[in-house]
Amino acid sequence: MAWPRLTFVIGKGGAGKSTVATALATYLASSRPTVLADLDQRGSAARLLGVRTPAEGPARAGEGVELRSLSPRRELEHFIRRIVPVRIISNRMLGSRTFAYVTAALPGLQAFLLLSRLSSMAGEAAREDRYVVVDGLSTGASLELLSVATGVRNLAGGGTLNHLAAELESFISDPNRFGVAIVVPPQELALKEALEAASTLRAQLKVDRAIAVLNGAPAPLFSAAEAERAMEAEIEHAGLVRRRLDLDSAAQRIRKELTAAGLAVIELPMLFTAAIGSAEVEQLSRSLRKKVEA
Amino acid sequence: MKRSPIHTTEHRLLLCLGPGGVGKTTTASALGLRAALEGRPVDVMTIDPAPRLLDALHLDATVSDPQEVALDGLSVGGAGRMRALKLDPKHTFDSVVERYAPTRAMADTILDNRLYNNISGALAGVGDYMAMEKLLELYDDPETNLIVLDTPPAREALDFLGAPERLLDLLNSRATTLLGGGLKFSDMAARAVLSAFDRVTGLHLLGDVQAFVRSFEGMYQGFAERAARAKSILAGPECLVLVITTPEELRVEETGAFISSLDQAGISIDGLVVNRVAPAMPGKPRPAKVTPPALQKKLLRNWRDFAALKQRETAALRVLREMLPADAIMLVAPDVGREPRSLEDLAEIAGTIDTADLRKH
Repeated sequence: MAWPRLTFVIGKGGAGKSTVATALATYLASSRPTVLADLDQRGSAARLLGVRTPAEGPARAGEGVELRSLSPRRELEHFIRRIVPVRIISNRMLGSRTFAYVTAALPGLQAFLLLSRLSSMAGEAAREDRYVVVDGLSTGASLELLSVATGVRNLAGGGTLNHLAAELESFISDPNRFGVAIVVPPQELALKEALEAASTLRAQLKVDRAIAVLNGAPAPLFSAAEAERAMEAEIEHAGLVRRRLDLDSAAQRIRKELTAAGLAVIELPMLFTAAIGSAEVEQLSRSLRKKVEA
Repeated sequence: MKRSPIHTTEHRLLLCLGPGGVGKTTTASALGLRAALEGRPVDVMTIDPAPRLLDALHLDATVSDPQEVALDGLSVGGAGRMRALKLDPKHTFDSVVERYAPTRAMADTILDNRLYNNISGALAGVGDYMAMEKLLELYDDPETNLIVLDTPPAREALDFLGAPERLLDLLNSRATTLLGGGLKFSDMAARAVLSAFDRVTGLHLLGDVQAFVRSFEGMYQGFAERAARAKSILAGPECLVLVITTPEELRVEETGAFISSLDQAGISIDGLVVNRVAPAMPGKPRPAKVTPPALQKKLLRNWRDFAALKQRETAALRVLREMLPADAIMLVAPDVGREPRSLEDLAEIAGTIDTADLRKH
C-alpha cells in the first residue's frame, strides 16, 4: 500500500493517538526519513520515545524519526513576522494583549495557518521523499481544523486568502499527500464517533484517504466452551475471563462495523504490559509493518 | 446505597473540570443523580453530552431549559429530584443579547452581525461565558439546591474559568480603542496589520469586529458584573471543585498540569475523580483438580495479562495521589465496561463511586 506523504492521526481522548502515531512514524522511518509532528502540546510522543520534548526546534528520536512540535500560536507568530518584517514592531504586536483578542476573534485564523503549515510540510516531504505523521487532536477538534479551509474560502469572497483556502481544500482531498488515521479503542462509544468522523471526512471534507486503526485488539485466548467451564469452576477468576471475552467481542464487533462502513482497518494488539515505553512502541510498529505489508 | 463520600450538603455547586474523553459528563450526571437520590433538588447542566447519555436522562437535545428527569423505579429520598439541561451556547447568547440590549434595534444589529454569527458558536469563551450566564440563572432559582456543572473539555484547566474574562476583554474599552483609533504604538501597529490582512485577504473583518464591539457598548457593564459574580461563586466556599480524569499513563502528566494551573490561579481543588478504574485483582489462580491443565495455563496467562494492566494503573493512581493537595480527596469510579444506557446504569455508576483505597489496588 502506498502511504500518503502526511498522515493525520485523530481519535477520541484516551484512544491512543500518541501511541499509534509514534508507532506509525517508527514503522515508516524504516523505509524513509519521517517527521513526527506533535500537535497535542503535551509531548506524549516524546515521552513514549524516551526523548525530551522538542520545545522550539526539532529533535532526533531514534532511527530516522525527527520530532517536531507545532502550535497554532507559533504559526500565528510566523505569519505576523512574515507580513511585518520589522522585528521590533512585530514583537510589540505579538506582545500586545489587545492584538491577542482581535486575532482570537478572527474566526479560524490560527487553525487556518496551522493547516497551511501541514500542507507545506507535506509538500516538502514529497520533494525530499519523506513521510510526515501528525499526532493530531481529538476527533471533534481535528474535524474542525480540517473544515477551516472551506470556512475561510466561503468567508473570503476573493483575493489571496480565497486562493490559499482552495489550495488547502485540494491538499486534504489528495490521497497522495494527505490521509487520516482514525484511532479506535475497543469501546462502544468510540466506534460511533469513529463512524461519524469517517462520514464527515468523506462527505463534507472530501478527504479521500481515511483508515481506521483498531487499537488494542486482544489475542483470542479462551474458546467459548473453555470460557464457560472456567467461569463455572473458577468463580474467583470468572470476572477476569468475562473481561477478556468482552474485550474480544467488542474488538470483533468494531472490526466488523468499521469494515462494513467501507474503512480499511489496521489492527494493533492490546499490550498487556505494566508500562508503555519505547519497547512497546517498537513492538507496535513491527505489528504495523506486518499488517500493512500483508 | 452508602452515603456519598463527598459531603455535597455543604455545597450548592459542584464544578466538574477535566480533559476530554474521560467520561466527565457521565461522572457529573452520576454525582448529580446520587445527590438527588440522597434527597436534594439537583440541576445537572451538561455542555456536550453523548447521545446515549441524553437517552439515559430522557433529555431532549433541542431544548436548552432544565427538564425534569423521571426518577421512576429508583428510591429517592426526601425532597430529591433531578433536572437536567443541555447548554446551547448560541441560543443562550441570543437570549442574553435580547435580554440585555437597551433597545430592540441594538439587539437586532448584534444578531445580524456577520462576526457575531461566526463567533457566537466558535469563539473561544462564548460557550463558557454562556455557561456562566446559565449558572447564575439556576443559582438564583429558589427551587434548586445543588447545581452540578459539567464543563466543556479543556486542554487547559483555566479555559473554562478564564473564558468570560477573555470575552469581556474583547468587548471592553481597550479593544474599542484599538479599533477606533489607537493610542499605543503597538495597538496602532496591530491595527495596521489587521487592515493589511483585510485588504490582502478580502475578508473585510475589521469593520465587522469594530461594529461588533461597538454594538455591545452600554451592555459591557452588565456583562462584567455578572462575570464577576459568577467568579466569586466559583471561588467561594459553596462551590466544590472536582477534576475528572482516567488512570492512563499518558494522561497523568496532563492531569498534573491541570491541577497545578488551577492552584496557580488560586483555585484549590477539593477532589479528583479517577474514572474507569479496573476492579481489584483476585489472587493468582491456583491449580484446581476440576480444571484441565491447558485451561489452567490460559487462566494463569489471563491473570498475568490483567495483572500487568492493573500494575500500570496502580502506578498512575499513586502518581495522581501525590499530585493532589493533601486535603483533597481522591475518588475512583470503577470501569463498568459500557456506556450508561439508562438511568439505572447511571445510578449503578453513582453508587459505586468511592474514595480510593490505594492498598486495595
